[in-house]
Amino acid sequence: MFRLEAKKPSLCKSEPLTSERVRATLSVLKGVLTSCYGPSGRLKQLHNGLGGSVRTTSQSSALLANLSVTHPILKILTTSVQNHVSCFSDCGLFTGILCCNLIENVHRMGLTPTTAIKLNKHLLSLCTSYLKSEVCGCRIPVNFSSTQILLCLVRSVLTSKPACMLTRKEIEHISTLILRAFLLTIPENTKDHIILGKSIIVPLKGQRVIDSTVLPGILIEMSEVQLMKILPFKKSDSFKVALFRVSLSGDLSDTGEGTVVVNYGVSLENAVLDQLLNLGRQLVGDHVDLVMCQKVIHPSLKQFLSMHHVTAIDRVGVALMEPLSKMTGTQPIGSLSSISPSSYGSVKDLCTEKFGFKWFFHLIPNEETVCSLLLGNRNDTVWDELKLTCETALHVLQLTIKEPCVLLGGGCTETHLAAYIRHQTLNKPESILKDGWCTQTELQLTTEAFCSALESLTGSLEHDGGEILTDMKYGHLWSVQADSPSVVHWPDLLSRCGCGLYSSQEELNWSFLRSAQRPFAPQPCLPHEAVGSANNLTLDCFTAKLSGLKVAVETANLILDLSYIIEDKN
Amino acid sequence: MAAAGSVKAALQVAEVLETIMSSCLGPEGRQILCTKPTGEVLLSRDGSRLLEALHLDHPMARVMVACVSSHLRKTGDGAKTFIIFLCHLLRELHAVTDKGKDSFISKNIQTHERHWKNCCQWKYISQALLTFQTQILDYVMDHYLSRHFLSIFSSSTEERMLRRSSFELLLETYFCGRVGRNNHSFISELMCDYFFKCMACESEFEEVFELVDDYFVELNIGVTGLPVADSRIVAGLVLHRDFSVYCPADGDIRIVLATETIQPVFSTSGSEFILNSEAQFQTSQFWIVERTKAIMKYLQTQNVKLLLSSVKQPDLVIYYAELNGISVVECLSSEEISLIQRITSLSPFVLPQASSHHEVLNTAVVKFCKPLILRSKRYAHLGLISTCSFIPHCIVLCGPVQGLVQQHEDALHGAFKMLQQIFKDLDLNYMTQISDQNYTSNPLIYKTRESNQSSELVNDSIQRTYQGIDVKNKDELAKTQTYLKVYSNVVIPSVELEACISCSTPKVTPTDTYQADKTLRCLSANPRMIDDHDPFIVSDPTTDSTTENTRIEISYKNVLITKIAGIGNMLPERCKSLEVSSSQSYCFSSIPAGCVLPVGGNFEILLHYYLLNYAKKSQRSEATLVSVIIANALLSIPQILYKSKKGNHSFPQIYIRTLRALQANQPVVSSQTGLESVSGKYQVLTSVLQCLTKILTIDLVISIKRQPQKIHDQDSEEEL
Repeated sequence: MFRLEAKKPSLCKSEPLTSERVRATLSVLKGVLTSCYGPSGRLKQLHNGLGGSVRTTSQSSALLANLSVTHPILKILTTSVQNHVSCFSDCGLFTGILCCNLIENVHRMGLTPTTAIKLNKHLLSLCTSYLKSEVCGCRIPVNFSSTQILLCLVRSVLTSKPACMLTRKEIEHISTLILRAFLLTIPENTKDHIILGKSIIVPLKGQRVIDSTVLPGILIEMSEVQLMKILPFKKSDSFKVALFRVSLSGDLSDTGEGTVVVNYGVSLENAVLDQLLNLGRQLVGDHVDLVMCQKVIHPSLKQFLSMHHVTAIDRVGVALMEPLSKMTGTQPIGSLSSISPSSYGSVKDLCTEKFGFKWFFHLIPNEETVCSLLLGNRNDTVWDELKLTCETALHVLQLTIKEPCVLLGGGCTETHLAAYIRHQTLNKPESILKDGWCTQTELQLTTEAFCSALESLTGSLEHDGGEILTDMKYGHLWSVQADSPSVVHWPDLLSRCGCGLYSSQEELNWSFLRSAQRPFAPQPCLPHEAVGSANNLTLDCFTAKLSGLKVAVETANLILDLSYIIEDKN
Repeated sequence: MAAAGSVKAALQVAEVLETIMSSCLGPEGRQILCTKPTGEVLLSRDGSRLLEALHLDHPMARVMVACVSSHLRKTGDGAKTFIIFLCHLLRELHAVTDKGKDSFISKNIQTHERHWKNCCQWKYISQALLTFQTQILDYVMDHYLSRHFLSIFSSSTEERMLRRSSFELLLETYFCGRVGRNNHSFISELMCDYFFKCMACESEFEEVFELVDDYFVELNIGVTGLPVADSRIVAGLVLHRDFSVYCPADGDIRIVLATETIQPVFSTSGSEFILNSEAQFQTSQFWIVERTKAIMKYLQTQNVKLLLSSVKQPDLVIYYAELNGISVVECLSSEEISLIQRITSLSPFVLPQASSHHEVLNTAVVKFCKPLILRSKRYAHLGLISTCSFIPHCIVLCGPVQGLVQQHEDALHGAFKMLQQIFKDLDLNYMTQISDQNYTSNPLIYKTRESNQSSELVNDSIQRTYQGIDVKNKDELAKTQTYLKVYSNVVIPSVELEACISCSTPKVTPTDTYQADKTLRCLSANPRMIDDHDPFIVSDPTTDSTTENTRIEISYKNVLITKIAGIGNMLPERCKSLEVSSSQSYCFSSIPAGCVLPVGGNFEILLHYYLLNYAKKSQRSEATLVSVIIANALLSIPQILYKSKKGNHSFPQIYIRTLRALQANQPVVSSQTGLESVSGKYQVLTSVLQCLTKILTIDLVISIKRQPQKIHDQDSEEEL
């Protein structure tokens, strides 16, 4: 604290949010995030100006990881979004844009940060309790007996990432694959709690998207020459597998802190090799068919094993060890002698696969909890984006299994929620006002700031100059083409709402989202028949969106609460 | 280069610091964002952290920061209050001297000379401050303020019990000043829950404080990317490592602790292993494998299901552990190991000597052991069964960004430090501590001095025993200090008991929550006694030269306190009459552990009121002046706290209401719930006064090329 060395004094700025520069940078960041949002979002190309790879993306995780922000406030915002994404994979842009909107709105309305922060918290708790309640009109319970909703969820994730450049047909194909890959990771015989398996994404760069596929088991890429060496496999129902964690290269293990003196003429290499060959003999004696090693296998041992028709694969790598041991039921062996028979596992079959110019060694398990998703794409950078999207989709499915419900997508949840909050604070303000630390006006203003932050978030789904409408019954979102005539019969122009649940043929009243609305109570409790009949819904992950909402409000509150910034200039 | 050190320069510095500090003071305070040179971003409302982050350059500022940090080392709290007090004191002083300046100028003295004159004046004031601190302040604290004190303990018996309600109020106040506005009630509830869950029995809370403070890092896990509200308490200990091998197990799970690799090695350090043949090598390797196998087998027969290791175990050990169904957690830090040892009193596993497995294996039982997944990171979660008064629990702190998680961690850690301060056990080092912390009031000194002079209370024998102890006799002083240690524990129990019995008469009940509260009235001294001493204090300083330095003042105190303690102990049969007066006067001269006041500037307004009252009565001009200055500066804190309040809750309203209540001798009603420690506040005040005297005594700041210390590699930097 009390320093003796000369350090440069820090720079201290008061009320950072009032500065024009900060607001300008915030709005630039908001612009970047907003323009990426949604299925028709614009793509961003990231390159470093010195050559090297170029990344085309519209996803927050790729975008923010490569964006270097300098201002501390922006740093808080972006790290908060990144942390959210690393927990939930989805709803990163949602979180970022909502946070920016909230900060901007509170400032625009000239609210004092102190009350705005407290009220934001209250409004957030209104939102979360509504979203979690049974009467929530924008939540659908997931029925695992049909894949309908899960498929819609995956499809929504894929559609919302335009940088994957998928056609409609490809989207259908990939979403089916993802769902299949996910279902393969669910073990068949479940006890009290499910331990999900793993789906490994294998790159098939250079292949068409439509050639992508899902295979049960694990694929290990090999050169053709290597693969030909271990061929042919013998025919059998089941193959016995040994998986080594310890290196089989014949190197001497740790000899301790003291010195080891080796007399002249004593060859430790030979001694170790002898040991390895003994091990080989034991493996052959135990009728092992496949030996795999995380590290390197000594060529002599390999030779010995192949002479006895035992397939040996080395340099598997630490990443594959866990899925391999899980799939085959082996215990990774750490000893060079006396292997317990219980550490062997088995696979159902071994075969080779060829995709394009790539050869794979394929292990087919007895019980399928590990699968490989072979993902093809002609373009490297698009493949990266597609892989990230698939991972997001798989993660979203996992989250949905934990909390079996989904939210309506396409902006409908946000507009519905905004309508609900408006109505609640107007008709039941007592719960918030009873403590007397804020006035009715402050409450109304903050509500307006909060709700318009949610609504302008949905407004950013529209990038082509169209208009956004909301109906006065369900509070859903409807969008109109840009070049539509001004005065028309609305049901002719609109077809379905953002999430696809309601059609315009119902008797509804519409109003522009940007115009002042009279508050109304959006209809709670989704009708079950509506959910059952609609087969092309846009859906969002419940857990990710709820947490995104909370994180966005919390981060906005945090930034609004700042009175000083102390920048260390050392 | 030299610059005149003046109040003005110090005031300018303090004002800048004050604007920053006041923005984050109290429940309405806001956050401050600090960036580090590494690019990390930290949110903070912690005064010491902010001062540190500022990297202040100004010499005056450095003096202040040094004073704050030495204060914090002692108490761990109150940096913001410190700066604000200091600033207002300087402002008041500046205003006072500005008035007097005209007379100086009119005398038309040369500027340089005037500066020196000024400095002499400052020195004079600084001595007056010192006298104030040691004489008036403590007197006022004891005689007037103490009647408003509340206690955090539920009863005044010797067994001190914590009351949850007042504990919560105390924490709430602390977190109001440390974490963001939306989170303080949540964090304070979390902390309260945590504390009561960890405590095995009510009376041994101090051990829990100490342990949590020592192992705070190991006992909490930060998770970023989740909302703050997802923070929670988990039962058991969460190790910041994943299982190397995990074998699900239930029932009787035993654990062992290893601090070395279980697999034997060829040669240990300092020894030599000579290999003569290949066969020998193979046999020894075979032996190693067999040995490891045997040890792991043995562990399995002892029902060991989990091996905790501070080092990385070889593949061989991992393999055999898995074969025997033993889970393994490797690479534990030494702190984690010692925490586990402290909780379970388990000693590390010693490798059994060759083939004899008869040694008793040290194991401990755990309720469960399972992986815990937080934000896709896996941790080992153990349900340790405690053998001490701490029941292991961990706090999982969530937040959207690391900076916020860090802030909450710091605040929680600070809260444990603060509680340790409040509940410091005064039973053993009561006397020494008092003399260290200047709790003993000087009225005591006067009292005894008075009694010496008038020889009413002190009889001849005592005088004879302590004849040698004259005020400046250092040798005797050392001797009496040894007495002090010996007698202190004998005297206190009775003293405390008496204090409790005699002092519990009137009750101050500010709000309904405190109804059950037994207000510890530290002073129930009858008005007669006070009356007796009042004139004395007024008249006393005349006999005492004001230039007497502090050290002598303090030594006075030590001597005299010990004297009384000695009286109580050495002359038990004669002290019947004495004891009443001596022990009373003694026990009143401290702020007992767990003394609190309602939050919201109560301490400051009360002290302000009593100081002004005192100043009115006092005849000496300096004492009056200093008391008024300090009394006015004290109001700065409540002024800032109520800044944003309007109407009935605005500062003037509250101030007037409190004063009226005090004048009418009615209980002071506080509008806010929440409690804060009296001793903490008191310590801030004394530290500020010391800092101020330090600043005032500087007349010239000389900047030098070299460091005063001999740090050579830094010298070069300085010259650049």
